Amino acid sequence: MLGWLRWFLARNGVALSVYMLGAVALWVIIMIVLPQLFMLDFSFRHNWQQMDPSKMGGPEDVYTLVNYHFLAYGSPNNPDPFNVVDVTVFFRTIIAAVFVTIFDLAICYPIAYYLAQVARGGKARLLVLSLIIPFWVNELLRAFAFRILFGEEGTINAMLMGLGILSQPIDFVREDVALYAGLGYAYILLMIFPIYNVVESLDKNQIEAARDMGASWLRIHRRVVIPFAKPGITSGCTMVFMLSAGALAAPQILGGPSSLWFTQIIYQWFNTGSNWPRGSAYAIVLMLTCVLLVLAVMKIFKVKIGEIGR
Amino acid sequence: MTSAGVMRIAVGFYILLFFAYLFGPLVVMSFTAFNSSEFPSISPWNCITGEWFDVLVKDKHLMGGLRSSLFVGIGVVLLAVPIGLAASLLLTQLQKRARSVMYTVTISPILVPGVVLGISTLVFWERIDRVVLGAEDGFFYDGYFMTIIGQSTFIAAYAMLVFLARLQRFDPGLEEAALDLGATHTQVFRKILLPFLKPAIASAAVLAFLASFENYNTTVFTIVSESTLTTVLASKVRYGINPSISALAVIIIGLTLIGAVVYEYLKRKEEKAASALAAEGLPGMGTASSPRPMRIPVGALTGLVAVSLLAGLWFAQGYDVDECKVRVAEENRVRFEALKQQKLAEAKAKREASGESAEAAVEANQAGRQYQNIFAPTNLGQQVDSAAETETETGAEAAVEANQAGRQYQSIFDPGNLGKQVDSAVENE
Repeated sequence: MLGWLRWFLARNGVALSVYMLGAVALWVIIMIVLPQLFMLDFSFRHNWQQMDPSKMGGPEDVYTLVNYHFLAYGSPNNPDPFNVVDVTVFFRTIIAAVFVTIFDLAICYPIAYYLAQVARGGKARLLVLSLIIPFWVNELLRAFAFRILFGEEGTINAMLMGLGILSQPIDFVREDVALYAGLGYAYILLMIFPIYNVVESLDKNQIEAARDMGASWLRIHRRVVIPFAKPGITSGCTMVFMLSAGALAAPQILGGPSSLWFTQIIYQWFNTGSNWPRGSAYAIVLMLTCVLLVLAVMKIFKVKIGEIGR
Repeated sequence: MTSAGVMRIAVGFYILLFFAYLFGPLVVMSFTAFNSSEFPSISPWNCITGEWFDVLVKDKHLMGGLRSSLFVGIGVVLLAVPIGLAASLLLTQLQKRARSVMYTVTISPILVPGVVLGISTLVFWERIDRVVLGAEDGFFYDGYFMTIIGQSTFIAAYAMLVFLARLQRFDPGLEEAALDLGATHTQVFRKILLPFLKPAIASAAVLAFLASFENYNTTVFTIVSESTLTTVLASKVRYGINPSISALAVIIIGLTLIGAVVYEYLKRKEEKAASALAAEGLPGMGTASSPRPMRIPVGALTGLVAVSLLAGLWFAQGYDVDECKVRVAEENRVRFEALKQQKLAEAKAKREASGESAEAAVEANQAGRQYQNIFAPTNLGQQVDSAAETETETGAEAAVEANQAGRQYQSIFDPGNLGKQVDSAVENE
């Protein structure tokens, strides 16, 4: 370590070394690691700050599991065997995020393959450029657009009723159709580009060879393209899943009145609920579940973590 | 038709569908910005208007949010880009194992939900504020400060990825040569590395600014009592919306399109220059240009935009928004009137079938009056009109109607019933 430091100093000079090490230390320690640790610490504490500030730092300011207990079982006078609302919302969020991920993968894989292997020259470039354009538009505005489309007096209802397909408008927002369509839309790009990057590096000759040997196009994809694109697919799925499970804007705007997203509960603990320790505990549960799920899936599909984010 | 032909059509159709999903919502939203309807919609189409842009510009909250978004964005660029640069330089000098550890740690903020980043930043700096400064709302517990820090946590990782991509093409031989010739380390950094990284610095800065500008999940926790454009937007979109939000979207989409065209133009120029150099026998400088360079018809696109603008102007000359609004209001009134007549006729037919006694009708008349008194102060617009009309229609028939409405008035205090109540009142007509 010391030897490396000496070599590093000699190679870069003092000023540059200080800049590099200082900036990275600031980032990694002050901005990434310590805040996470403080949040973890916070989640094991009582909410004395709001309830009784004089007890802070006193003998009663001890570590506790009360916040995690609340997520699982609710308040002490909860008649149900577990915290029905929060636990239901939690699992619904995770399952819905999985479905959004599968939906995005299903619609994006063909496009990514087409852009990377079939389209060429100016056409491919134009398509890629036009893919990017919608994603410079704010996430909130994109959700707003879906609200215009899917509202009870929105464009889709007006169209269907104008064509005589419907006699009564469908409440897409209450049925959560708007939310899923909006979430799927929001992260399309994050699914396409990792897959596109990998598939583009696939040698066309491999596909040609498989075709010459008489493989059907389904078989080519199953045996040649998809195994090759696995890191890209995993990378895209990881990002889409994490982002949709952690989404806040789209559920706030497109969520039905009776359905919550787990992040909205966290948000409530921080705002109207004024219980930061509990909000921190919920956030940690969400983050750990997502990370463990992703790691498990990566283990099943035998992809290494280093291959992600390339 | 051959199966290959069918396949081609299917693929083309799929791509069309995909891009319709991609652009449809944005196109519809853009149109709503020009409709005079109070609620953002394209059907029914009322009048073409630019008034929502005025509403947008006069909106103090949005403009204030825009200012703080710009401020935060600049702060993030100044913090995240130098950090990303330092991290990318350090990464290239680490041994394999240390490098993969550092890569995993620094890339993790991209994968962690933005909500979690916001919360951890908020909790950490609030504690630092309390313990170190001993103050309740000290320097560290400031919305702008925490937002810049919180956003930079993951935006620095974006910047790092941009720099790493560029550094992969750096020739370390240049550095060594300069050092051999007696240059100091700072000189090498300033004269060789920085110029080489200049395009990457520019793109990292643009990326950082845009990522900061549109961030919501982290900001909503760290901003505390201040507000940025996104937090203002979120509250606007959630509570009561009007097409001025669409007008904002139109502006952003327009800027994006201009940006894309400019980017293409610059790229094309760069490629032309590169191929010209390559032709002069400097193969090292020429990028591996594809045999068919891009053919995006920039000129045609610009022409199209200009033509549609001119057409719009020409159209606007003989067009009066106020006149149109009056006309639409009149049309709506006529339509409402027709609807009412229709409902009345239906109700009449029903009534004739059941045949109510005149006695009940007299009784009902009183209830009807009562009902109207209740209604008037609540100011239910058109419904008041229709109720008034009930009154003018003298005779037992109208009274029976009013009676029905009067009976229902009890539940009108329930705010949830208000809408339904109003509907049924119309139907009773």
